[in-house]
Formats: sequence, structure tokens, C-alpha cells
Amino acid sequence: MTESLQSQVPVDADVSPVVSAQGLVKSFRHVRALDGLDLTVLPGEVHGFLGPNGAGKTTTLRTLLGLLRADAGEVRLFGEDPWRDPVGLHRRLAYVPGDVSLWPNLSGGETVDLLLRMRGLDPAAGRKDELVERFRLDLTTRARAYSRGNRQKVALVAALAADTDLLVLDEPTSGLDPLMEEVFRECLAEHRARGATVLLSSHILSEVERLADRVTIIRDGRTVESGTLANLRLTRHATPDASLEDLFLAAYR
Amino acid sequence: MTAATGSVLLLRQHLRRDRIIVPVWMGALVLMAFASASATETLFGTVQDRVRIAALVNDQAGLVALYGPILDPRSVGELAMSKLTVLYALFSCVLYVVVVRRHTRVEEESGRAELVAGTSTGRSAPLVAAVAEGAGVAVVLGMLVAAADALGGLPVAGSLWFGLAWAGTGLVATGTAAVACQLSPSARTCGAIAAALLTGAFVVRALGDAVDRLHWLSWFSPLGWNTQLRAWSDPRWWVPLLHVGVAAALVLAAQGMRAHRDLGSGLVEARPGRPGSTMASPWSLAVRLHRTSLVLWTVGAATMSLLFGAMAPGFDDLLSTGAGRELVDRLGGAFIAALLPIAAMAVTAFPISVVTRVTRDEAEGRAELALTSGASRAQWFAAPAVLGALAATWLLAVCGVSLWAGYRAAGGGATTPALAAALGWAPAVWVVVGVALVGLAARAGWVGWAALVGFVTLTLVGELLELPDWLVRLSPYSALPAYPVVAWDWTPFAVLVLVAAALTAGAGRWFGHRDVSVG
Repeated sequence: MTESLQSQVPVDADVSPVVSAQGLVKSFRHVRALDGLDLTVLPGEVHGFLGPNGAGKTTTLRTLLGLLRADAGEVRLFGEDPWRDPVGLHRRLAYVPGDVSLWPNLSGGETVDLLLRMRGLDPAAGRKDELVERFRLDLTTRARAYSRGNRQKVALVAALAADTDLLVLDEPTSGLDPLMEEVFRECLAEHRARGATVLLSSHILSEVERLADRVTIIRDGRTVESGTLANLRLTRHATPDASLEDLFLAAYR
Repeated sequence: MTAATGSVLLLRQHLRRDRIIVPVWMGALVLMAFASASATETLFGTVQDRVRIAALVNDQAGLVALYGPILDPRSVGELAMSKLTVLYALFSCVLYVVVVRRHTRVEEESGRAELVAGTSTGRSAPLVAAVAEGAGVAVVLGMLVAAADALGGLPVAGSLWFGLAWAGTGLVATGTAAVACQLSPSARTCGAIAAALLTGAFVVRALGDAVDRLHWLSWFSPLGWNTQLRAWSDPRWWVPLLHVGVAAALVLAAQGMRAHRDLGSGLVEARPGRPGSTMASPWSLAVRLHRTSLVLWTVGAATMSLLFGAMAPGFDDLLSTGAGRELVDRLGGAFIAALLPIAAMAVTAFPISVVTRVTRDEAEGRAELALTSGASRAQWFAAPAVLGALAATWLLAVCGVSLWAGYRAAGGGATTPALAAALGWAPAVWVVVGVALVGLAARAGWVGWAALVGFVTLTLVGELLELPDWLVRLSPYSALPAYPVVAWDWTPFAVLVLVAAALTAGAGRWFGHRDVSVG
């Protein structure tokens, strides 16, 4: 079960991180959503990003993507400031939002093609058709009639169809059935095998435990833990067979 | 539990959500009624004046088509309310469509209705609550308009009958909107259907009122009843019952349709979409999303303009002499000059809907998806700005050309520069679009609509209330000369272009430097 977490990715000072955030602060009116958050994602790893509802996961991702400007702290994506040149960076990544909302009048197929072409990709060239098949997505249905899971599949197909350097996934399986979750895990494994970096925000701990090389746990906008599962067990003085769930709950006690 | 269980609770929630939009809109309409009523004394003081003006109006088919005939030329009230009887009553219908649609089909489309349907509320509760609100607004607005008329110095009995006509119009509009909102799964299509039905009612009575052999047609339009009620002299007491009867039939029909369809579905099943597309940018997305509705707007603008162009002054007697010909062309020009600001106001609704749609895209998370898929902020902002401005210009051009074509077809002279006159109004529309774009930057979709309602009210009420010139001219619809009656002037044109450009540029800069967020 916890194989991948234990296969240690060396934290090498020479490897420049794909994502690095230091001391991020972001306030919305009276709410301090991020309060000095740190996050480092290394090339080629699947990084689990954990925290309870309202901890600041989505705010962090939006800041990384250049949608929000941090009040303080430093963000770097591929070594660059996402607020200054978001478009150039977005062509190197694919993002699946947590709550996928689509244009009600457009069909799934129209939406996927639009999202791919805006990233400068040719829908006919990538793995789109294969993914549509695997996710059993009906492309002619209008988004208005899609269930939550199907909307998520539209975003996933658009994100996974091309060989991007970075995948940013915000609770990507929350609307999927177990069969589709399995397809998603296979796809993720394929992208990882070709060397893609994945930042996976989730609170489905078993999923993260199965997929992630390292995890970062946040709480109230601050990083409380970061490292491999083995490292986390050591710092938390947990038993060697402690699951991620045990560690997660321990971080909140 | 019945199908209507929970509607009282929902009604309270609707009223809370509408606590600003409904009173503001009603206030604007009541103000127009009051301004028109109180201006009567100065405009049409003596009986002789009134008879002369009424004869002038009744002689011009175009004015009769627009406002309805003056049945009793001696009546103060009928003349004072001539614009409100039919034309502004049609404007008031927009309010009912907005109210009914936003609490029924919009809720279904967004999925919020599902949340409500899962509680112990009946299937029809949202519809019942929306209809109840529409009917309540209609009755209250009717009473307020009656009070405004009476306060403005018009006879009390006539004011009451006139208020009843407006209440009746509101009831019919509510019923029409309730039916339209059952037909399609798309809130936008439902709105278009309601608009088409109500505009159709206006056109039917325009033909009936203006064409001698077709007078019977006016009785087939609820808006025609407003004139036929004869509120100001010898009222037909049973006409409001026609309004109520038709409204009740429409509501029952809507209720029947709702009872027999699934939540979120329409009576017309949506056709499957295309499996792919060639869209590659926010611009092509905007064109794709708005092309159908732009085609419908084009057809609507062309039809209305052709119709009114054809009804510009009657020629029969005057055409015989050369001097008469010149007079006709001058009158035709005047009529076109009077119509164009109204066309400009109506046309503005399209670009505003283009801009507010982008505001909704952001609130509901679609902007986030586009802006992380390679689209830049500048592209995302420019798409509605450019499409809105171009579409407004296009629709004005369609109005101008169609007015000219209709005018020619009915025997008018070819010299009226209708196209140039129509395009002259474009900067006024661009200014309102600029304000709507500031709303987009401020994440407030209502700003564009508020600007439209505010400017329209200022223009329509300003002169009647004799407000100071500088104040009225703050409305872009009052800032341009009534070309071709008044000589063309480049100064206000240039000023409006600059204002529109400054608003757009400022909004674009703001949008480029702020957070993009959901909700």
C-alpha cells in the first residue's frame, strides 16, 4: 500500500524545485487564508497536498497559478513568478479545479477542444481520443446535463491529454466513481512514468498514500508537516506501520 | 404536502434577494409616470392645444404604431400618458421576466433548485412563489403609478384605471415569463422566448392601431388592451378582466407544464452538441456563446425597424407637390430621429448581457479554467469588450438600414441619412458598455444594468421634470444631437468616444491587476 511513499525522492539542493513557495500570506478582508505557508515540489514527484476544509489548499493553488497575488512571501513556478507571466507558465502545466464549472451550452467535446487549443495544443494530436474512451465520456452531451463527475472528467481529459511538465490537481477524484478513480490512478502513473511532476491536493488520504512520493500537510494557512511518509512517522514518533490517516489526525491533535 | 408546499418560505427568500433590484426598477417607472403627469400642464395646457396635438399624433401612423392612438383628443390624461400606455408598459415587462426567470429557470440551471427540491418543498413551489412575487409587484406598481399620476395632477379616476392597465400588463408579463421558463433548459433561451412573445404582442397591436383595415388586431394583444381600456374617458371596466383571465390561463399552462416535466429539463429536448470545435481563444468562445442570440437580435431589430420605417408619416395628400415631398422627408427624418435613441437604449441590452456573462463566468469558476489554460487576462477582458462594442454598432447599423428600407418601401424619400444617424448613436452605447466593463473589473454584474436603467430614466424623465441641462446630459442618451433634425455635431460624439475609451481602458487595467476568484 505505502510503497510509493517509502520510495524516497532525495531532497537534493542542486535540483531546482518545480514549485516553491515561502512564507505565503494571503488575506481576504478579515480572513487570513494563508499565514506563512511553505511548499516545495520537486521535479518528477507526486506531491500530496493535504489539509482539512478551509485550511487554504485551493487558495495556495490559485496563488501558484497566478490567479491570486500573495500579500507577502515568495512564489516560484519553474523558477518564475506566476503573477508576472502566467500565460507562459500555463502552457507548461495543466490544472483541474476542485469544482469544475463548464459553459452550460457547450458540449463536452467543444469544451475539451477549447481548453486544449487555448494551451496551444492540437486536440487531434494528443491522447484525447484514448482518454475519452477510457473515461467513458460522451462528448456530445451539453455541459448543462453533465453530472459533477462528468464535468470533472471533461477537465481531466483536457488536462491529461498532453505531455505537460506539471499537473496541478485539486481534489480530482471527488466526483468520480471507483471505476473511474482507478482509470485516473492509471493515467497518473503513466504521466509520472514519463517524468511529469504532480501536485495533488486531496483529503482522500488513502489515495494520497497510494500515489504520493511526499506530502505537505497544512493547517490554518500554515505548513505543519512536509516530507515522505517515513519522515513523517519519525517526526511524529509514530509506529512504523502508522498510516497517513493516523499521521494526519495526529497533526491536528 | 401539496405541490406548492414551501412556497411562502421561498417567496420570503425571493423578496430578500430582490430587495434592491425590484424597488429601484419600480422607482424608475413610477418616476417616469410622475414626470409625464406633472409636465402635462406646461405641454398641453388648453383643450385646443390638446386637440391639435392629438390630431397630429393620430395622423402619423408611425407615432400611433409606437404609442397607440389618442382615443379622446380632449383628455389631459390620455395625452400625458401616451408614451406610458403601451411603450413604457412594454419596458415594465422586462422587470417581470427578470423576476420570474431568476427564481425559476436560472435556479434550475445552476443546480440550486435541486437543493431546494430535496427539502420538504413541493415541485411547483418555486414557480408559485415566483408568480406570486410577479403578481404582487404588478399590483403594487399599478397602485404606485396611479398614485403618481394623481399626484402629478391628472384626474383621480382615470389614474386608477390607468394603474389597473399597468397592473394587468404586469400580470400578463408574469404569466408569459412563467410559460417561457418551462420551455427550454437554458435560462437564456427562456428569456429570449419571453422577450419574443412580449415584443410580438407589441408588434401585433402596432399593426392593429396603425393600419386602418387591421384595427381588430389590437384586440389580440394584451398591450392593445391598455389603449382600449380608455382609462381617461368612459372606461371599459371589463378590460382588466381580460388581462387577469389571460394571465391566469398562462400561469395554469405553466403550472401544467411544470407538473409534467423533470427538474432541469425543458419541454423542448436539447439537441446533442457537437463532439468537437475549432474554438481556440476567449474571442472565439465569446462568438460561439453569443452568435445565436446575436442572430435573433438582428432579426428582431430589422423587423421592428422595417415596420416603423414603413409607418413614418403618412404621405397620401402631401406627396402631390414638390414642397409637400420636402415636408414629408423632414417629418420622416424627425420620426427617425425620435426613434433612434429608443433603438440605442434597446440595443444596449445585448452588449451588457455579453459583459455580465463574463462576470458570471468568473463567479462560477469558468474564468479560472480559461485563465489557467493559456488565455491571458488581456484576451479574456478584450473578448466581451470588443464583441460588445462591435455587436452594438452592428445592431445600430441594422436599425438604420432597416428604417431607411422601410421608409423607402412606403414611399418616403431616399435622402434621409438613416444609417449615419443610427451609427451616430454608437458612442452612447459604447459608454454604457464601458460602465458595464468597470462592473466586470469590480466583479459586480449589476453595474451595467444599473447604468442602463439609470441613464434611460434620466433621459426620459429629465426633460419632463425640467432638470438642469448638465444633469440630463450626463446620460449618454441625452448627450447627442437628434440628427438629422438637428445639425450634426462632432464635439459630443468625440467626447463620448473618449469617455468610452477611458472607461474601457481603466476597467481593463483594473482587471489585469486584481485577483481572479470564484464566488
